[in-house]
Amino acid sequence: MTFDNAYSSVFIKPIGIKKVKVIRTNILLKAAQGDAYSIEELCLALWEPVYRFIYHRVQNREEAEDITQESFARTLAYFRNHGEPPHNVLGYLKTVGVNIIRDSWRKRQLQGKVVNWEDVKPLVEDNQTELVQRLRIESALERLKPEQKTVLQLRILMGCSVADTARQMGKSEAAVRTCQYRALQTLARYLDDVD
Amino acid sequence: MERKESIVSEYIDALNKEAAPGKTGNGVNDQELEQIFSAVRAVKSLKEPALPDSGFAQGLAEKLTTRIQERERSGTVRNASGVLAGQSRPKLSRPKWMIPAAALAACLLILAVMVSSPNMFRNDVAYAMQQAVSNLSSYHGVLEMRSNNQAGEEWLVRRAELWSVGDRYAVRQDDGTVTVNNGDKKWQVRPQEKAVAILPVLPDPTRQGFDLRDEAQRALQYPHEVVGSEVIAGRDTSKLEIRPPGGLAYHLWVDKQTDLPIQIRTPMQNSLQTTYTFISLEVNSPVEDHLFAYQPPQGYKIVQDDPGQLVATVEEAVLISGFAPLLPDAAPKRVLAFQDRMVLDYGDTTITEVSAQGSFAPAPNSALGQAAGGPLEVWWEGLRWRQNGLEIKVTGPQRVALAAEIAPDLTLPQVSHDLVSQAQVKVSVDMDIVRANQMQVDRGSSPWQLDPLHVAMTFVNLKVSPQGIIGEPEIGSASFKLELNTGAQAAITVSEGPVKKVYLQRLLRQDETGIWSVVGYDPR
Repeated sequence: MTFDNAYSSVFIKPIGIKKVKVIRTNILLKAAQGDAYSIEELCLALWEPVYRFIYHRVQNREEAEDITQESFARTLAYFRNHGEPPHNVLGYLKTVGVNIIRDSWRKRQLQGKVVNWEDVKPLVEDNQTELVQRLRIESALERLKPEQKTVLQLRILMGCSVADTARQMGKSEAAVRTCQYRALQTLARYLDDVD
Repeated sequence: MERKESIVSEYIDALNKEAAPGKTGNGVNDQELEQIFSAVRAVKSLKEPALPDSGFAQGLAEKLTTRIQERERSGTVRNASGVLAGQSRPKLSRPKWMIPAAALAACLLILAVMVSSPNMFRNDVAYAMQQAVSNLSSYHGVLEMRSNNQAGEEWLVRRAELWSVGDRYAVRQDDGTVTVNNGDKKWQVRPQEKAVAILPVLPDPTRQGFDLRDEAQRALQYPHEVVGSEVIAGRDTSKLEIRPPGGLAYHLWVDKQTDLPIQIRTPMQNSLQTTYTFISLEVNSPVEDHLFAYQPPQGYKIVQDDPGQLVATVEEAVLISGFAPLLPDAAPKRVLAFQDRMVLDYGDTTITEVSAQGSFAPAPNSALGQAAGGPLEVWWEGLRWRQNGLEIKVTGPQRVALAAEIAPDLTLPQVSHDLVSQAQVKVSVDMDIVRANQMQVDRGSSPWQLDPLHVAMTFVNLKVSPQGIIGEPEIGSASFKLELNTGAQAAITVSEGPVKKVYLQRLLRQDETGIWSVVGYDPR
């Protein structure tokens, strides 16, 4: 091992070192009993990591807000009925969130609809995993044809309408829809390959 | 095939609108489509999540509280398993049938407000300005500062050319001095001294000196209305009048086309008035990269006084600064390490940590809360406290959220806390005098009225010497101690003399620019 490597393995960690959030037990129990101040303290402290975690899976604000609310409600119901909060409250909230997404997707499956369970499987929560996922998606995007990449950038990353995308790419709206469909088909295959 | 393409397009449109895709009616039973939806979500995950409106956490807390309390009242507390079994249950959001009724009620309310307030529509200018400012990615402009006096004479004070792209900016003053912050390095080229001074990247007071965001924020904070239209620097603008409570009105001109502020004029104070005008402003257009490149002119000396080092990891920062910082959950964008301090950059918010020295002395005019079991100084846009041998200061819009992650017991001052009613003797206040005093302080005179300790000391010493204070006051500053300051009310204990405790209130403006008035006291 070179000196540089040795140094890296001992000292260099990513900046995003997570600190365990400490919420006092009495705050949790008072919140479960309906104490407004404690509920607000709990929500202020934990809404954002829970929301971000759920948003990552559903990718829209409407569902993320609803599921975040439901996760807090169910978690407080659990505290109330068991008289004792779990050791890792944030982890518990996220697990409840994943269960709610699963419930709603399971309903879709009961209605005969296909769901992609990979999307809701709990992730190991560390920056490294997030980074790897991001790299996986970015490298799959890089493998697309330039036109396919552009259509996904405009439509999904920049949020342009089909009409705006068509104008910018000098194509008809029907051609944009076809191009984005093919791009996503290919991308889904690339993502699958990497998995 | 065409149907599938349309379904995918609708799915993307729904996510772009941040709506649940199911509600667009494109739920389908198709393995391939499900994989494509998954790919859409994967691509969108490269973007930052759309966060809820501000106040989401408070709204969430309110709904949870109401729900638990309603259950308490009705005695129908469900057990957790019942809840988790996926039973049909009321959502926390309002039932759907209520939406049209609530919308109708809201429309009627808005209509009533509009009828009673003809300025309602015109006030949207300030909101549009705030939106436009928040969407600003880059700009290049020339800012001119002019002063005029009561006699009508006007003169140019200075002119500066500005370039700003995201976190990077460059400012060239008309004397040739150029200040640049390219995100990694900040420096100032001083042609008169033939020197380049290397400056700390963070915190950066230069940026605050011309940041358009501050004015947009202030305009929304204080009462304001559109009072006319004018052409400024060739641009058609709306003229906004902003009235800080108890102070003199000032004006801001907002470009009608871009919704950006392009001119601000201070009130006439001490026979002087100053106007800042963007005589040219190009927004969201490309700015040349070479402006932000560090290239000291040949023959210039480099002046460097510990500008700090940008480091990749907190561990590296620890090696330079010699102490381990306390970190919030979120990772900082950048870490700047100095020999005696560490600065964590969260974009619009900065955390500075130093080893605590001596005793903690909050600014006398600051409001006091609690953090890490000790006092928390709440002063302008900053929070400061001590924890684990460190003094921590958080400045910027995200200060409360980040500080609460470091000190989970963080408690802000209770503004609603009623101290004044506890006073044994009430002191009547002449509001005309208070208004006159506030204007005097706004002009820059008698700043001591912003300090509750100083106001209390004057009050108590005038009780001792009603004929006036000559020379040193009889009861000195060491006898006065700030017991509580909520930002709106304060209590000060006095260790000697005829008064035991003084109660003060900010009667006109409950912010750092508002003066304090004595409204009561407890005799000894």
